[in-house]
Amino acid sequence: MRNLTRFGSALLAAATFTTGLLGVPVDSSELQALREQVRALEQQLKIISRQIEIKDEAAAAAAPTTPKITVNDKGFTIASPDAANSIKFRGLVQLDSRLFFNDGGGVVNNAFVLRRARLGTEGLFAKKFSFQFVPEFAGSAVSILDANFGIAVSPALQLKFGKFKVPVGLEQLQSDTWTFFNERSIANNLVSNRDLGVQASGDILGGTLNYAVGVFGGLGDGGSTNNTDFDNEKEVAARLFATPFKGSAGSPLQGLSFGIGASVGRTKSAAARTAGYRTDGQQTFFSYTAATAGDGQNWRVSPQFDYRLGSLGVLGEYIVSTINVRPSASGAKAELQNKSWQLAAGYVLTGEDSSYAGVVPRTNFDLAAGTWGAFEVTGRVANVTVDDAAFPVFASAATSANEATAHGVGLNWYLGKAVAFKIDYYQTHFGFNAAAPATSSTPILRQDEKVFITRFQLSF
Amino acid sequence: MKLKTLSLALLALLTAGLASAKSIELLNVSYDPTRELYVDFNKAFAAHWKAKTGDTVTIKQSHGGSGKQARSVIDGLPADVVTLGLAGDVEALYDVAKLIPRDWQKRLPNNSSPYTSTIVLLVRKGNPKGIKDWDDLVKPGVDVITPNPKTSGGARWNYLAAWEYGRRKYGNDQKAKEFVRKLYKNVPVLDSGARGSTTTFVQRGIGDVFISWENEAFYAIKELGADKFEIVVPSLSILAEPPVTVVDKVAKKKGTEAVAKAYLEYLYSDEGQDIAGRNFYRPTAPAAVAKYAKQFPAVELFPFDKAFGNWTNVQKIHFADGGTFDQIYLGR
Repeated sequence: MRNLTRFGSALLAAATFTTGLLGVPVDSSELQALREQVRALEQQLKIISRQIEIKDEAAAAAAPTTPKITVNDKGFTIASPDAANSIKFRGLVQLDSRLFFNDGGGVVNNAFVLRRARLGTEGLFAKKFSFQFVPEFAGSAVSILDANFGIAVSPALQLKFGKFKVPVGLEQLQSDTWTFFNERSIANNLVSNRDLGVQASGDILGGTLNYAVGVFGGLGDGGSTNNTDFDNEKEVAARLFATPFKGSAGSPLQGLSFGIGASVGRTKSAAARTAGYRTDGQQTFFSYTAATAGDGQNWRVSPQFDYRLGSLGVLGEYIVSTINVRPSASGAKAELQNKSWQLAAGYVLTGEDSSYAGVVPRTNFDLAAGTWGAFEVTGRVANVTVDDAAFPVFASAATSANEATAHGVGLNWYLGKAVAFKIDYYQTHFGFNAAAPATSSTPILRQDEKVFITRFQLSF
Repeated sequence: MKLKTLSLALLALLTAGLASAKSIELLNVSYDPTRELYVDFNKAFAAHWKAKTGDTVTIKQSHGGSGKQARSVIDGLPADVVTLGLAGDVEALYDVAKLIPRDWQKRLPNNSSPYTSTIVLLVRKGNPKGIKDWDDLVKPGVDVITPNPKTSGGARWNYLAAWEYGRRKYGNDQKAKEFVRKLYKNVPVLDSGARGSTTTFVQRGIGDVFISWENEAFYAIKELGADKFEIVVPSLSILAEPPVTVVDKVAKKKGTEAVAKAYLEYLYSDEGQDIAGRNFYRPTAPAAVAKYAKQFPAVELFPFDKAFGNWTNVQKIHFADGGTFDQIYLGR
């Protein structure tokens, strides 16, 4: 703007110079009028310049007290100017279609499913105190999925209280939005999900080692708490996860992470054992008899790794879950050990980086602009093996399989950071205990499970 | 044994001495043009307080448009004292947030105004537009600089001085409103405070006349030279009484009530009054009035309450949202 002011003065000088140079007689009244016009113009420019200056000053003065509102594909956030306090609203909607093939007929399992419908709230107060509250609206009733609050003492010590994921399984701890496949692998049947508890966690050794240790109510395999825990027996869960090469820029090992999660506790209730192990198509292939109850010590251990190199991502874990059970209140106690594992990989065809925290497409899908978002192909193999000793006392060999091996392939289309369309094909083969009849009493176990699962996902 | 007893006594004395010498911090939330006044005064008071009590007092200053500053205090700015441009802004501390008692203005002499000032017209050297009185400000082609009366205490004095002039000259409020409307039609830039308007007029070179606090006009001439500006004294102006008060709720919470009270009382002392005069505020103590009499031009000053009653009504009628000023300015 000051340049414009100078321009006004220069204009007058140029006009005077030019008329003199050309030898044109100058009418003094015209020159006076011209001078007056330039002066007025200069004054106007100064006024506009000052008005802009005042506006900028007012904006700068208001900035320290004006809350910052951000709406983007990570949610809707209102934050104090110093970012010490904030509240964020997030959402996740997943609409699935399940289409089963060659399942022998007589089983009604093709379906549209509202798999997840969540509107979560996260908050931060005084930079150190946080909370998370996530209700789940999908399913037959509204339930509270996450409800916890935290205290960030330091990067090396963060405390969390309430209901949240138990720190054992690698894929279980990954966001529902960003798993390679629409459904987590069958290996996850052997770890618990969300429980009530207290946890300390943090990054140490320059951020190369993440630890988490907590005391929880204790859950059976695949279970989530119903928000109460009235027994005296508890479970301790802990996880160490190292990223030793994270600072080695350019190294092919930079994206390598590995660690181990474990839990140990005592339980004495029917809820202590699994309600059932499920296939990728979410059909139950193994369950204990109704009278079987957990009684005594149980423990889990899970070595795990995650590797990312550019567009390539690989994830693997092995899980052993041991439980002491009784077939009835007076029945003899036995220790059962179930095992599972998975190896999954993804490759982003469009060149974006693969990440445990999700693929961020370089472009959004826009036909007019000729951009398509990001595409990722995925593959997975996983297995669950139930202890043979479970049959026939604790589980029926006629109705349950004792092994499931699943293969899956998928294509993920990220139309934008917040919107995705995914299609997976899974084929699961079942194995049976020697005591099992030639034909299972459970129709879905009479042949391999073959299912397409497609998903429209909105997440922010 | 005697040596040990003596050492202990000395140690106890030293500890007691250290414990009794305090370090105190005050926040003075003031209006725009008082920066220089309070820089001088704070030094003087800190020295006075140190000599009197042994305590070290540090006074922090905050300046801005008077109305805006009052709003900040109401919103939580922890002012021990406020020294604002007009009583209406201080009154808001009671009306809105009950930070001070209702009778705050009776706690110090002269309605809690240790110094006064008035409104004058500052023009460029040679007075190229021939400005002599308020009448000249409504002429076409005259650019007038004044801050926004909704945020600046000084601007409210400007507005009211012009209004009273218009009322006396043209006979009634309706005509006074028309007069003020014409005046604001000539205002190209509205700053939020008096110091901003000084910048607009003096440093940015905008406008033909600046309606200014008297002290701010003197300050501009002192800083930039008498060869650049001159003061035009109008035929009528307003007696501006910038008031001061302790913000009781804040001072009580911070434990600074006594020193905050002493700070304001010191404004009435010989030294305080002299500092006010040196900084072009009109002192109220007779000795200082006499000392600085020649510094201030003679002008007919009308008291605010005689012309307009009380600030609550004036605020409601003129400066509240939708009030006379909004009607005038937004309808330009």
